[in-house]
Amino acid sequence: MFAYIVKRLISGFLVVVLVSMAVFALFWYGPSKPAQAICDRETSNRCGDRIEIYQENLGYNNPIYSEYGKFVKGIFAGREITFGATTYQCDAPCLGLSYNTKQPVTEELVSRLPATASVAVGGAFLYLLFGIPIGVAAARRRGTVTDKALVSSFLFLSSIPYYLFALLTWLYLTVLWEAPFVSDVGYFSPISDGPLKWFGGLFLAWVALGIFGCTQYTRYTRGAMVEALSEDYIRTAKAKGLPARTIVYKHGLRAALVPVVTIFGIDFGILLAGTIFTERIFEIQGIGWWSLQAVGNKDLPVVAATAMFSAVMLIVSNLIVDIVYSILDPRVRLS
Amino acid sequence: MSQPTAPETLGSLSDETPVDPNSKQAKAIAGRSPMQIALGRLVRDKIAMVCAAVIVFFLVVAIFAPLICKLFGVSTDTVFASQYLDMLGGGMPLKGPPNNGFDPEHPFGIAPQSADDNLAYWVYGCRTSLTIAASATLFASVVGIAVGLLAGFLGGIVDKVLSFFIDLFLTIPFLLAALTIAPILNDRFSLNDNYALIQKFSLVAVLAIFGWMGMARLIRGEVLSLREREFVQAARVLGMPTSRVLIKELMPNLAAPIIISVSLMLPAFVAAEAGLAFLGIGVTSGASWGQTISKAVKYFEEYPLYLWEPLIGVVLLVLSLNLLGDAIRDALDPKTRR
Repeated sequence: MFAYIVKRLISGFLVVVLVSMAVFALFWYGPSKPAQAICDRETSNRCGDRIEIYQENLGYNNPIYSEYGKFVKGIFAGREITFGATTYQCDAPCLGLSYNTKQPVTEELVSRLPATASVAVGGAFLYLLFGIPIGVAAARRRGTVTDKALVSSFLFLSSIPYYLFALLTWLYLTVLWEAPFVSDVGYFSPISDGPLKWFGGLFLAWVALGIFGCTQYTRYTRGAMVEALSEDYIRTAKAKGLPARTIVYKHGLRAALVPVVTIFGIDFGILLAGTIFTERIFEIQGIGWWSLQAVGNKDLPVVAATAMFSAVMLIVSNLIVDIVYSILDPRVRLS
Repeated sequence: MSQPTAPETLGSLSDETPVDPNSKQAKAIAGRSPMQIALGRLVRDKIAMVCAAVIVFFLVVAIFAPLICKLFGVSTDTVFASQYLDMLGGGMPLKGPPNNGFDPEHPFGIAPQSADDNLAYWVYGCRTSLTIAASATLFASVVGIAVGLLAGFLGGIVDKVLSFFIDLFLTIPFLLAALTIAPILNDRFSLNDNYALIQKFSLVAVLAIFGWMGMARLIRGEVLSLREREFVQAARVLGMPTSRVLIKELMPNLAAPIIISVSLMLPAFVAAEAGLAFLGIGVTSGASWGQTISKAVKYFEEYPLYLWEPLIGVVLLVLSLNLLGDAIRDALDPKTRR
C-alpha cells in the first residue's frame, strides 16, 4: 500500500516536472522573439531595435536551462523581472508577470480561482445529484420503456456538442426571454455582492453543466448498478426478505459507486483546470475566461502560467483518484 | 417476461430466420464473416441508416462545395459591404432575412456587417469541418495503431514507456493545448501568406497529438490478448518477421477496435473544430461554422437565422456521427442482441 502510494507520488511529480518543462520550452522556442509582445506594448508598437534590450533583460539570450532554473527558483523563492528599464518584484510563488498589467500572474490567478471553483463545485454537485438517482432508477427498471426512453434521450443529449447546448441555454434564457433570477449571469463575490447574486449569476452555468454532464454519470451508474444488482449477494439479500430500498441503496449502490467516484474525481479536476466554454459563454471571469483573454492580448506569461496551473491541477486530481481507488479497491494495486 | 412467447431456444437468440429442421429443402450454407454480420445488423438499424444518409449529405456538400456555390451563384469573396447593408441601422442586410423576404440571390441570407454570403460560408464551413476532422482522425489513427501495436506486442520496457506516454497525454485536454499554442502560432505566422493553411495544419496536429490515446489503449488491450493466441504463436514459430506478424496476422483482427475508435474520434473532432473556432483559437481566417456561430451570437435577437444555420450544421453532423458510431459499436459487439 505505502509502496504503491510512494510510487504514484514519484511518477506524478515526474509528470509535473515534464509538463512544466514542455510548457516552458514551448514559450521559449515557439515565438520568433518571445519578448516581442511586451516590447510592442511598452513602446506602443514602435519597438524596432529595442527588442534586443527586452530580450536581454528577460533572459532570452541566456541558455534555456539556466532560465528554467530561474523560473523554478522563482516559484519557491520569488524573483525580479525586468521589462525594458523597470524592474518588478515577483514574490514567491512566482509564475511570471502579466505583460498586460505588470502584476504577478499568481496574484491574479488566486483572485480568479473562486469563480472557477464556484463553477466547478456547483457543476460537479449537479453531475452527481442528477446522474446517480436517474442511473439507479433506470437500472431498477432495466428493459422497460422508461429505461429505454431515459437511455436513448440521454444518448441523444450527450451527442450534441456541449458548448452549443450551453450557448442556446444562455441565448434563450438570458438574452431572449430575460428570465428572472438568471438574467444577470457572471461571477459575483458572495461576500461583497451577497450570496443571492452569486447564486443567480452562476445558476444557469451550473444547470447547463449539470444537465449535460449528468448524462455520462447516468450511463456509468446504470451500467455499474445493473452489474451490481445481478450479483449473488443481492439475490441473497432478496431471499432474506430485505426491503427493496435497502437492497438497492445499501447493498447495490455502494458497490456500484466505486467506479463512478473515480470518474467523478477526474471530471472535477477537469472542471477546476478551467471550464473554458462555460466561462466564456456565461461570462464568468474565472481562469478559463482569463486565459482566453490572454490569448487575445498576446499575454504570453499568463497563457503559460494558466496552462501549467491547469495541467498540474489535472495531474494532481488523477493522482488523488488513483490513490483513493487503490484504497477502495485493493485489486488495483496488484496489477 | 410477461408476453407468452415460445420457449427461448438457441435459435430464437440468433439473427437468422428460423428454419424448420424437418424441412426437406436443401439448405444452402453460407459462411458469414463477423464483419458481414455486423454490416447486416447495421443495415437493418433504421436510426443508423438515417444518420448515414445525413452524413452522406454533408460529405457531398463538402466535396462539391465549389460546384454548389456556382449553382446558387454565390461566393465567399469579400464584397463592397455598404451596397448590401443598412449601415446606419446596425449593419443589417437590406435584402433577404431577417427584415425582408427570401432573396433568391442569397438563399441563406447575408451576414450583417460584412455582407458575406451565408450559403457560401456554410458550404465551405462544412468542407473545413470535415477536412479537419477527417485528417485529424487519419493521423491520430496511424499514431494510435502504431503505438498500440508496439506496446501490446513487444511488451516489457517498450510497453511501460509507451503506456506512460499514453497516460501523460491523457491528462492534458486538447482544449488546453490548443489554447496554449494559439498565441504562439499567431506570433510566428500571422503575417505569413499561408496563415489560414498553417492554422488548419496546426489544428489537425493538435487534434491528432491529443486524440490518439483512446485508440492506442484499445488496440494495446486487444493485442495483449491476441498475442497469446495460437495463430500468432504459430506465425512466430514459423519465423515470420515481427513486422509481418503485426501487419498480416494482427491487423485484420483489429478491424473492430479500429472502427470503434474512428467512430468515436470523428464526431469529437468535428465538435472540437467548431468549438475552437467559436472560442477564436481555431480556424480564424477562412470559413468555419464555429467562427460564424461566434459572430452570430450578438445578432441573435434581430437575426436568429444567421446563428441557426451553422449551429444546425454542427449539431446535425455531430449528432449523426455520434449516433451512427453508437449503432456501429452495437453492431460489432457480439454480446448485444437486438
